[in-house]
Amino acid sequence: MPDDTPRSRRVIRWRGIIPLCLAIALAAVGYVLFAERIVRDTTAEAASKMLGTHVEIDRLTMHETEPSVELVGVRIADPFDAMKNLFEASRIQIELESDPLLERKLIVRRLAIESVRVGTARQRPAPPAPRDGFAAIALGAVKQWRSQFDVPLLSLTPLDTIRSIVLDPSQLQTVQRALRLRTEADSVRAAVTTEYAGLALRQTLDSARSVAERLQGQNPLQLGINGTRQAVTDVRRTLNELQAARRRVEDLERSTRSGLELLASGVQEVDDARAADFAFARGLLKLPTFAAPDIGNAVFGQVTIERFQQLVYWSELAQDHLPPGLDPRRKPGPQRARAAGTTVRFVQDRSYPSFLLRRGDLDLTISGDGATSGTYRVGIANLTTAPDVVGLPMQFAVSRTGGGSGMSLRGGGVMDHLGGRMRDSMMISAAGVPLPSFDIPGLPLRAELGRGTSRLMFDRAGDQIRGSWNVRAADVAWAPDGKGRALNRLEELAVRVITGLDDIELSASVSGTMESPVLSVRSNLDRVLASRVREVLGEEVARAEREARTQVERIVRERAAPIQAEALRIRTEAEQQIADARARLDTARTELEGRLRSLGVR
Amino acid sequence: MIALLKLLQSLVKTLHSDGTPHQIGLGMALGAALGLTPIANVHNVIVVVLLIMLNVSFGAGLLAWALFTPVGFLLDPAFDRIGGALLLENASLQPLWTRLDHTPFVPFTNFGNTVVLGSVIGWLILSVPIYLAARLAVVRYRTTYGTRLRQWRIVQTVTASRAYNVWQWFHA
Repeated sequence: MPDDTPRSRRVIRWRGIIPLCLAIALAAVGYVLFAERIVRDTTAEAASKMLGTHVEIDRLTMHETEPSVELVGVRIADPFDAMKNLFEASRIQIELESDPLLERKLIVRRLAIESVRVGTARQRPAPPAPRDGFAAIALGAVKQWRSQFDVPLLSLTPLDTIRSIVLDPSQLQTVQRALRLRTEADSVRAAVTTEYAGLALRQTLDSARSVAERLQGQNPLQLGINGTRQAVTDVRRTLNELQAARRRVEDLERSTRSGLELLASGVQEVDDARAADFAFARGLLKLPTFAAPDIGNAVFGQVTIERFQQLVYWSELAQDHLPPGLDPRRKPGPQRARAAGTTVRFVQDRSYPSFLLRRGDLDLTISGDGATSGTYRVGIANLTTAPDVVGLPMQFAVSRTGGGSGMSLRGGGVMDHLGGRMRDSMMISAAGVPLPSFDIPGLPLRAELGRGTSRLMFDRAGDQIRGSWNVRAADVAWAPDGKGRALNRLEELAVRVITGLDDIELSASVSGTMESPVLSVRSNLDRVLASRVREVLGEEVARAEREARTQVERIVRERAAPIQAEALRIRTEAEQQIADARARLDTARTELEGRLRSLGVR
Repeated sequence: MIALLKLLQSLVKTLHSDGTPHQIGLGMALGAALGLTPIANVHNVIVVVLLIMLNVSFGAGLLAWALFTPVGFLLDPAFDRIGGALLLENASLQPLWTRLDHTPFVPFTNFGNTVVLGSVIGWLILSVPIYLAARLAVVRYRTTYGTRLRQWRIVQTVTASRAYNVWQWFHA
């Protein structure tokens, strides 16, 4: 066996140096040839995952000795529009601090971005964001958030089609609630009857009456000592039986109280459901929208929500990527043939976070002769993956510093994720800015708001949101949407009123919680339109509403009122029955106590 | 089929090499790391360097890699749980992980990944029985079937090839 040869007992195999050197040389060649390409692809993929939108990088160069990274041709697609780029930069230079790199952390010392363009059109649609990233989930959450808004449709139904409705009683909540009340009432009545029968009051009262009658007019002299003792014993036993029966009655009262209260609240709920039925019946009339808040929400609701949904999206990303606290950070491990697992980073106070941009001052130039062309200054401070390590909230500010288009812009925001807080707030205010164009829902019109002032504010503290969007456009144009459909009389009126407006003053707000947001839009357009529609339709609408109300009242009177009356009767009877039982037991007890006194017992 | 043949070839070469049972056992124990743990990690670079530079059976290492790769896939859920328990559920270890996460170079080992940490721990635990079992198997084999198999033509063909000579560089 070769075990005993001296060669076998050596620990190091020096001949292995040759293939090891070859392997190292191969690795070095591989690094030179492929490292930048791999890092570029990995960076683009990670950025796409993080931002939830497609990110492209044409070239990436690493300067290992400085150390710094240069990105050329960076494009970030708009997560809400695949044919647009949110951001394009011809060159991004990132200078890093070297020591944190040894801990696998990116601390950006200086960031320089050149030739930035925003909102540019794409040649090809951007591929959808990776489905497994948080951003994709956030995008889904934002779409869900958007779907929660109850934006009314602008309905301009012709006057002659306001229909006479024929209500199906089973559709009315009042009738449905009354039917449930009948079931509840039957159940309560059956329970009270059964339990009352179980009290065996008749036997107890008969026994008491018999003892009282037997001792009526009797005294100790007539009964003698033994007779009196027996009589006292009988009376006391009967009194105990009465006492026990009274306790059973009280138990019955307690046990039936919740059932009786249920009947009372059921009766009230039937009354309350009537309001909902009036609204339901009114909805069946297909009345035109003529309340100003409804018109405001219908006309400007979607365009307003589009503004806020973008802020909610970025806020969702910020809350995930900039978490508060020093707990270990978990994220799915890298994609590989083996299981990905979970990768955990351990955050430590007074250390480097995984990523930190201490301060970034960017001077951006948007070239061309477009309305947004000009120079801008953007400042970012304390952008980090571990706010509690840095100890300062992330801040940003943007302002327009030059350009010939007459536009001014300033804004800023704070993302305060310190000490368990999650508060994101931002404000942006612009004058002379191009305002959005959008189709007027329900009308063959397109609003071209032109240039104007816009002030957008958004604040999110935990689950609570608060936002406002104020717009003033002084030179509004109204264009047909090209479909050219025939208009009814009311639509013609609306088009005439709307196209008569030269300016728009819009004030929209979003409030409530993320799960239950509330949208409110007010504008001069909805006030004017509501007033004109009301003038024209007021009488017709009032008549149709009266008819609907009468139908609801009739159905309620026929179907629900008898059940309500029956439920009230059952309740009253049950209460009366219990009160009677108690009174009869009390009377019997008083009578027996009188007998006891006449027997000389105090 | 080709993979199976290569595995067979590797097995024959290893068993009939001049390596001692101890060297083959160590080679198997080291090579198991390549199969049991996710391959693209720093600790596996160290394992390969050790396989090349230490006086252990390189062929056994490659054989163990091939043999333990499917085992690694199968054990991934267990490794994930072991890593998760160590990284996230054991509060007394958190200061250690935090310190390591802020120590230069250490984060590049991906020790913070549950599967990586769990599989490395799993490999360290399994390496001792792997070494002992491989060593015992080689001794048993050589004292029973080894001599007869050496006379087979296919074994002689393999061992006489030029590739085999190069291969022998890595054997004691």
